[in-house]
Amino acid sequence: MPSAPAEAETDVARLVRSAQSGDGDAFAQLYQRFARMVHGVALARVTRTEVDDVVQDVFMAAYQRLGELREPAAFGGWLAAIARNRAADHGRRLVPVHLVSEATTRPHAHDRVEAFAILEAIRSLPEAYSETLVLRLVEGMTGAEIAERTGLTPGSVRVNLHRGMKLLREKLA
Amino acid sequence: MSDYLWDKSGGADPEIERLEHTLEVFAQVTPPPPLELRKQPPAGRAFGRSALLIAASLTLVVAGLVLALTMRRSAPGWQVTTASGSSTLPVGAWLDTQSGEATMAVANIGTVTVEPGARVRVLDSREGHHRMELVRGTMHATIWAPPNQFFVETPSTLAVDLGCAYTLTVDEDGGGLVTVLVGWVGFSSGERESFIPAGFAAVTRPRVGPGTPYSERTSGDYRQALALIDFSPGDPDVEQALSLVLDQSEERDEVTLWHLLTRAPEAGRDRVFDRLASFVPPPTGVTRDGVRAGDRRMLDAWWDALGLGTTSLWRAWSQQWKEELYRR
Repeated sequence: MPSAPAEAETDVARLVRSAQSGDGDAFAQLYQRFARMVHGVALARVTRTEVDDVVQDVFMAAYQRLGELREPAAFGGWLAAIARNRAADHGRRLVPVHLVSEATTRPHAHDRVEAFAILEAIRSLPEAYSETLVLRLVEGMTGAEIAERTGLTPGSVRVNLHRGMKLLREKLA
Repeated sequence: MSDYLWDKSGGADPEIERLEHTLEVFAQVTPPPPLELRKQPPAGRAFGRSALLIAASLTLVVAGLVLALTMRRSAPGWQVTTASGSSTLPVGAWLDTQSGEATMAVANIGTVTVEPGARVRVLDSREGHHRMELVRGTMHATIWAPPNQFFVETPSTLAVDLGCAYTLTVDEDGGGLVTVLVGWVGFSSGERESFIPAGFAAVTRPRVGPGTPYSERTSGDYRQALALIDFSPGDPDVEQALSLVLDQSEERDEVTLWHLLTRAPEAGRDRVFDRLASFVPPPTGVTRDGVRAGDRRMLDAWWDALGLGTTSLWRAWSQQWKEELYRR
């Protein structure tokens, strides 16, 4: 359910309408504004090496289908849904060894093992929690920003953060 | 919750700060890399998916693709791709897959892959509203349109897409099973409704409707107990089944418990209330007496507290499509 502050919604809606009428700069601004959210949604579901491809795919799909979006203010939620679906398509091809393969194929792997382990712990949480925690802890978005960008209500984001953090603490204890 | 977790204000939480610092290596770079917008999808990835689809199709043989062109020929149809090629499935026409699968483009809002041995048809397809029927077999739907635009009718229920990917199976008796991969699905038959989020599944039976959703991580005993509660309410073992469900329920099973608030035997509903309340306290204004009486507003408020999305849009949507069904 869209929940962004009225001013931001208006701004996004204006950009969406401009982009729908062919304004490439407007779409570029939407990309700048929403890339972090899409990156986080993807990172909660696919390996790091696939995330950039998913982000490109998502914005490509959004660009091609923007004309179908009848409620411009709902752009964030619509884009998040595309991102979840695209990431799920990639995610189905994952094999459960990416923690090891990602961590050991990079320089200074030992320095990154903890980061990958934490990311895996987050990914193992229920989807709503893992996505929200990645957006908060990895992408550095505030709760209000997460709500604005994904179309979730602030209340849902708050619940997801609270419960997700509780479960994550238990997993990492 | 600390303000720091919500908006980084107030005193910093050392543990959260440590997590932020450790995980920042994964963050999107600022500014994000240039976006490569082209009229067509990126060649490499698009070719990869197409090649996979073609390869998969070529390994299968569609022994029979029966298009019974019977009604509403003038309405638009969906593009169907099988091993023998592509064609348009008009509204009203049946598609029987026998030994091969078929992939249908649902207008421009998603895809449905129909497994061998299935029987489906398109019931309606227009802007903002696409509906099909599955009377037998298995289909996998991936829908990227906003919620409430894609519907699947089965002999025992109506599945309403709420923005997701899911698998739906209908057996020879008309019973069904939906498993949700992403997003959530609304299952409805008459006054009986089930909300199934990602990671959950639900069965449905003719003349009864949708059963109680359960996590895919639950045991076989748990699922059998739910089936007894849902579909054999007069069975003498129902109370025992409810006890098993309550004992084995964990925090992840709050969705299941919420449904049981109105489905469990009346004598056991207080125990369901207490078990759910141990995981998610009832919001202000939600009372035991009200829930016991089936107060819709209280039940919806408690659902909303689960943090899986609000029921308000569902109520508006379900009213829309129910009115539409009644008009048909």
